[in-house]
Amino acid sequence: MKLSRFASIVALTVATALPTIAVAADKPVVGLVMKSLANDFFKNMLEGAEAHAKKRGDYELKAIGMQNETDFESQLNGVENFITQGVDAIVIAPADSRAMVAPLKKAMDAGIVVVNFDVSLDEQAKKDAGVDLAFVGPDNRGGAKLVGDALAKDLGNGGKVVILEGNPGADNAAQRKLGFEDAIAAGKLDLLDSRTAHWETEEANAVFSTMLTAHPDIQGVLAANDSMAIGVVKALDAAGRSDIKVVGFDNVPAVAPMLKDGKLLATVDQFGSEMAANAIDKALAVVAGGPKLEGWVKTDIKLVTKDDVK
Amino acid sequence: MQALEKTQASETIDTRRLTGWSPKVLLRDAGIGLALLLLIVFFSLGTEHFLTPNNISNILTQITINLILAVGMTFVILIGGIDLSVGSMLAFCAVVGGTVLTIPDLPVFQAVALATLAAVGTGVVCGFLNGWISAFWGLPSFIVTLGMLNIARGAALQVTDARTIYSFPPSFNAFGSQMIFGIPVVFLIALVLVAIAWFVLSKTVFGRLLYGIGNNEEAVRLAGHSLMFYKVAAFTIAGALVGIAAMVYMARLNIASPIIGIGFELNAIAAVIIGGTSLNGGRGTVIGTLLGACITGVLANGLILFGLSDFMRQMITGVVIILAVIIDKYRERLTGV
Repeated sequence: MKLSRFASIVALTVATALPTIAVAADKPVVGLVMKSLANDFFKNMLEGAEAHAKKRGDYELKAIGMQNETDFESQLNGVENFITQGVDAIVIAPADSRAMVAPLKKAMDAGIVVVNFDVSLDEQAKKDAGVDLAFVGPDNRGGAKLVGDALAKDLGNGGKVVILEGNPGADNAAQRKLGFEDAIAAGKLDLLDSRTAHWETEEANAVFSTMLTAHPDIQGVLAANDSMAIGVVKALDAAGRSDIKVVGFDNVPAVAPMLKDGKLLATVDQFGSEMAANAIDKALAVVAGGPKLEGWVKTDIKLVTKDDVK
Repeated sequence: MQALEKTQASETIDTRRLTGWSPKVLLRDAGIGLALLLLIVFFSLGTEHFLTPNNISNILTQITINLILAVGMTFVILIGGIDLSVGSMLAFCAVVGGTVLTIPDLPVFQAVALATLAAVGTGVVCGFLNGWISAFWGLPSFIVTLGMLNIARGAALQVTDARTIYSFPPSFNAFGSQMIFGIPVVFLIALVLVAIAWFVLSKTVFGRLLYGIGNNEEAVRLAGHSLMFYKVAAFTIAGALVGIAAMVYMARLNIASPIIGIGFELNAIAAVIIGGTSLNGGRGTVIGTLLGACITGVLANGLILFGLSDFMRQMITGVVIILAVIIDKYRERLTGV
């Protein structure tokens, strides 16, 4: 008796809730799935998307983030919630390039437009699941090549360099390392050592100081993100070495003074704050009946040097 | 009856043999020192650059933050507790201190003094809460500090809106890499803290009661001492040291970010354990912790100079932690301390 009453209440609530969603959906709803919001880069990206939603005004934005970089369970739950809510499009920066394929397939099967940005889903995993999904995002390898070339140009042939890598196993870390290696090969640089500092300032500071002890003849440093580049610059300050050139990646605000006084030679801006907004535009175009996205839609990257800092 | 209990209790908490007074304890620290010495000899012979003045000062700089955190952790582990929140607290203390440090138009000296006060104050409050909550409700500090790990990290993100604070006063920044006779000033600060901790733990009644709590909490209570006070004090000291470590972090790296310090608690615990302090409490010295921090620092540095891959390095660090605990087990059997 009690149970059936409970069931009828649930049924009633669901029945009244469903039409509300449907009525409110005259504006398309975009579900934005972000990575860790405890990170300047994604924080800026989210703010960019929110500003974009306000400016366009013709869609409703629902955003979710994660606790930290590896917490893909909350992404998974987020995608499932968006499917249940029946959003029109899901725009996602996947936390794991394999784990997110299955839930996204479920979303596509439910007729939701899915756009993948920031980090590309794994090709093989996509093939295995029978998913055909375009990627909107920057070329991390190309960006790393760009900034690596700037260093190679400054050092000339035979310049001795070391690499500080991001997290082992992370796709963007691997891509950036490949890009650095491309630049090293093209510029005929001499790679002395390559180690991870897990994207971290303090660890980069310690690891690089030790690398410098082992190879006092280092002339250039390629850091896979600016946080690590900051640690390297501080280590050079402490060691009193102003002859070593450093390049980074991301163009975070904290490096502006370092670019200005020449402690950082260059970094790469991949316009993180516009990246989510860009992907949303692409998704809305498809929702409005535009052609399906295909392959890799590359977004802008730009080399940032002293000249770009006012 | 009560008088009898009291005598028994004071016997149990006569912990002189545990606190650096007896030859046996000195022998134990000497054993860890010997392990450190062997490592140094090994790396000196095996690599070209290990035993150079520059590299030594690098190692000292690199272990400073971990050493300060580990000194605080020693207090907590000695009473049989654990503090999992120090990494998050480091970030929280740093962003609070960093916010004060970047107040515009404040004279450098005042800014640094106020920032230190703010950072240490933040650590003290968090540490006090850790101790008080676990003592008042009789909860395992493992769980309470796991809660604080999340609270402090969330607070750090909330305060900064997840943004990095940078551009500290140049003279403060320069202080972070200052040397005296090739020894980093920040390391000397850590050494002073070690000396103070050593004095407090081995020469004061307060310190001996901390050992007593780790050995036999009930006995200390029956002897008429407030467990609450000593537990809260141990965690509060750990918190204050986190605040100091946060200032050192900012002086060294010139940034304060809410995502720094992830996993630092584990490095601090490793240094304490390698230094021969028992996770069960009541046994260990802060000199051991100093040696433990040196061992982890020398390993991290030496293995890079050796050209070992990052992954091998991580594995070896793990092996050393386990070895240290196994050796400790035998040492306990052989020497009785």
